Amino acid sequence: MAGTAQHATERRRFERGPDRLAAGAAVVGLAGLAAGVAVGPNVGWDVFFRSYLLNYCFVLSLALGALFFVMLQHLTRAGWSVALRRVAEFVAGALPWLALLFLPLLIPVLQGRPGVYKWSSPDVVAGDPLLQAKAAWLNPAFFTVRCVVYFVVWSLLAVVFVRDSVRQDATGDVGHTRRLEWWSAPGMLLFALTVTFFSFDALMSLNPHWYSTIFGVYFFSGAVVGFFALLALLVTGVQRAGALTASVTVEHYHDLGKLMFGFVVFWAYIAFSQYMLQWYANLPEETAWYFARQNDPWWRGVSLLLLLGHFVAPFLALISRFPKRRPGLLVPAALWLLAMHWLDLYYLVTPRPLGASYVPAAPLHWTDLALFVGLGGLFLAAVVRPMGRHALLPERDPRLGEALTFENI
Amino acid sequence: MAAHPVEVDNTWERPGERAPLVTGGHTFASLTDTVCAVWEAPRPPRAWYVAFAISVALLAVFGAMIGYLIFNGVGVWGLNNPTGWGFDITNFVFWVGIGHAGTLISAILFLFRQKWRTSINRFAEAMTIFAVMCAGVFPGIHVGRVWLAYWLAPYPNQMAMWPQFKSPLLWDVFAVSTYATVSLLFWYVGMIPDLATFRDRAPTKFKRIIYGLLALGWTGSSRHWHRFERAYLILAALATPLVLSVHSVVSFDFAVSQLPGWHTTIFPPYFVAGAIFGGFAMVVTLAVPARALFGLKNIITLRHLENMCKIILLTGMIVGYAYGMEFFIAWYSGNPFESFIFRSRALGPYSWAYWTMIACNVLAPQLFWFKRIRTHQLAMFLVVMAVNVGMWFERFVIIVSSLSQDFLPSSWDYYRPTAVEILTLAGSFGLFFTLFLLFCRFLPMVAMAEVKTVMPHADPHAHPHAHVPATRRFDYNPDEFDQEQPA
Repeated sequence: MAGTAQHATERRRFERGPDRLAAGAAVVGLAGLAAGVAVGPNVGWDVFFRSYLLNYCFVLSLALGALFFVMLQHLTRAGWSVALRRVAEFVAGALPWLALLFLPLLIPVLQGRPGVYKWSSPDVVAGDPLLQAKAAWLNPAFFTVRCVVYFVVWSLLAVVFVRDSVRQDATGDVGHTRRLEWWSAPGMLLFALTVTFFSFDALMSLNPHWYSTIFGVYFFSGAVVGFFALLALLVTGVQRAGALTASVTVEHYHDLGKLMFGFVVFWAYIAFSQYMLQWYANLPEETAWYFARQNDPWWRGVSLLLLLGHFVAPFLALISRFPKRRPGLLVPAALWLLAMHWLDLYYLVTPRPLGASYVPAAPLHWTDLALFVGLGGLFLAAVVRPMGRHALLPERDPRLGEALTFENI
Repeated sequence: MAAHPVEVDNTWERPGERAPLVTGGHTFASLTDTVCAVWEAPRPPRAWYVAFAISVALLAVFGAMIGYLIFNGVGVWGLNNPTGWGFDITNFVFWVGIGHAGTLISAILFLFRQKWRTSINRFAEAMTIFAVMCAGVFPGIHVGRVWLAYWLAPYPNQMAMWPQFKSPLLWDVFAVSTYATVSLLFWYVGMIPDLATFRDRAPTKFKRIIYGLLALGWTGSSRHWHRFERAYLILAALATPLVLSVHSVVSFDFAVSQLPGWHTTIFPPYFVAGAIFGGFAMVVTLAVPARALFGLKNIITLRHLENMCKIILLTGMIVGYAYGMEFFIAWYSGNPFESFIFRSRALGPYSWAYWTMIACNVLAPQLFWFKRIRTHQLAMFLVVMAVNVGMWFERFVIIVSSLSQDFLPSSWDYYRPTAVEILTLAGSFGLFFTLFLLFCRFLPMVAMAEVKTVMPHADPHAHPHAHVPATRRFDYNPDEFDQEQPA
């Protein structure tokens, strides 16, 4: 195994720190959830569930981005990324926990609350011929079944990819790498289909008349941007805590920056494709969705902020080599992109569809904040906890040597 | 030539080691000799002459059909009132699509540090440029009054006429011409060191002058190399968004309309994936015979072919995903026109074309899940031929099935191509292959300078022959191989 004296002496495991941090994050998270539930009756449960969906999709998308990244590294037999892969595996490893946190979202569906998923309410469907036509897909029972399928697939993939990688630390058996390479191709196929249909079910069906064939790709592209931002932050955090100080170098940050930049542009490309085509054709059943996001100053502002903040600003900030090789500059960019990813989901979830049965009191609610803290805290706890139990990088991965010695030219 | 003639199987690799990308015990010198031999041979192989004769004959057919069209007008095609676009635009989109693989290989795979691209990028880029030339012919000849095709360009004129900037057809002119320009520049810049090699080895003064002019005074100094690599990186970064933008803009030609089957938001990335899919299929189509014909099997190895098969499998599934999304959303939208057109594609008058497309684009590439097929040249050749056919039919299905059955059933009509259209399509292959065969004969077909950078000899710390077993086959059993752990 390639490596220098610094690699031999660097810290690759944490002891009690992550447990303490995870416990703290979990406590904060539970407090956030409790606060959300406490204000729920005041703001209305529909608002509560929308806030929950928004923040849930935020943390879920980060974990899905991690699963994508981990599978992609195996699929392409990548060498450079091995030093970062374990941290990504910790993020993907949160997926089984997130499956549990999804359960509250089934409540409004099974209750048939028209304020969240209006297709779930038999009364609404009875008066809406279009929803009757879609009832074979959009109905509470089938929705529940599909969601079970999505979470089973994601949890199994996450468990397989994390478990084999961790086991390799002990055995050093190259067979683990082979097995994961084998799994990565069908895993990617399953991932593409489940993420697409999840985004249709959980997000697109909030406006059940509206449709866009690219929507699954849109959700995916934002998720990957968010994940790379999170990965840069986590890796910086691990290094600040004194570990992986030799294994993760400026070259890895440079590559992370490139991937962040690339997916920022990809997101913009997908967002533009969807917007431009619907704007140009100007069909009422499609433009209604954008109309709800452009017809008042608040949402127009959010739309413009997305354009500038999720594309123009990071594009200019990350295009050069300079910031990508300086974690001190990359970290603020990553924080900014995480915020923008949240804003993107806010833009998808929160505007009420045209003709909604009620008018919201305000576009932002306390529940948005409380549940951000709540779900964010629990997610962080799930990500951080295993950091105390396993090595922080795949110590005996056969390609680790490549990751330790690689340089951008 | 020091190279070992036995073709070795370098498609297996143990995790942690990288299989050699150049096999047969090649050194820098033997690599240069092998690539230059294609050009230095007094005569090309006989198969080259046969292929060239056929290509030129087809090219003559192409010219004759275009001449016939110009003399008689577009009435010689089978277009009818609802179906105003037929073979012409199908061929255009098909050829532009083929033209995607080259720049993807040389730009995007470069940014992703895919070293295997070096053996195939040169001729894939050449293929790109020739495909874009074929594509460029069709919009020019389909306008009816061909002699006014220059109206497409935004030039100052006294007719108070200005191209319609709201029209994606105009965006297309810009997108394709930008792409053609950058691809040509990229191809040429990358070729400069190799042109200098040709200059230095030129047997006659005439050739020395021609290649000398093309090589722009390249001396191979460190300063030249530094400039060259900077320029290459910048061009790669510029070409990368172009790979996406060209076919996205081509997709806008359809998707900005309100026509069911054309207007759908997934069109831009779906067209790009389809273009890469079709482009790689054409690269494999050309690589399999070319490497045998010109003795390049140790440079364009089985591993290169296998990697391309994997990309074809991936992009084929992205295309299949897009077909699936279109179908699902057509139903989900609840829009009767949308669901009608998709039902009609599968069951209506053009269902034969639709199922050809599905069989060739979605089903055939599934064979690439099997390594045995990915590494069997005849099998992979049959699959990529299916993909070539399927990608042409994809454009045909999109264009014709939507146009021939629009909103008003009384205006429906069935489009049937005439012999002129079929011969024009066949003739465009003549143009493509004529140019490609000339390229193989007169320009460096493999990027020699770049391939050398991925050979073990380029690494001062490596043992030059550590990874290159010249005498035994490389087709080791992976399980057996795993047991020989390094000390």
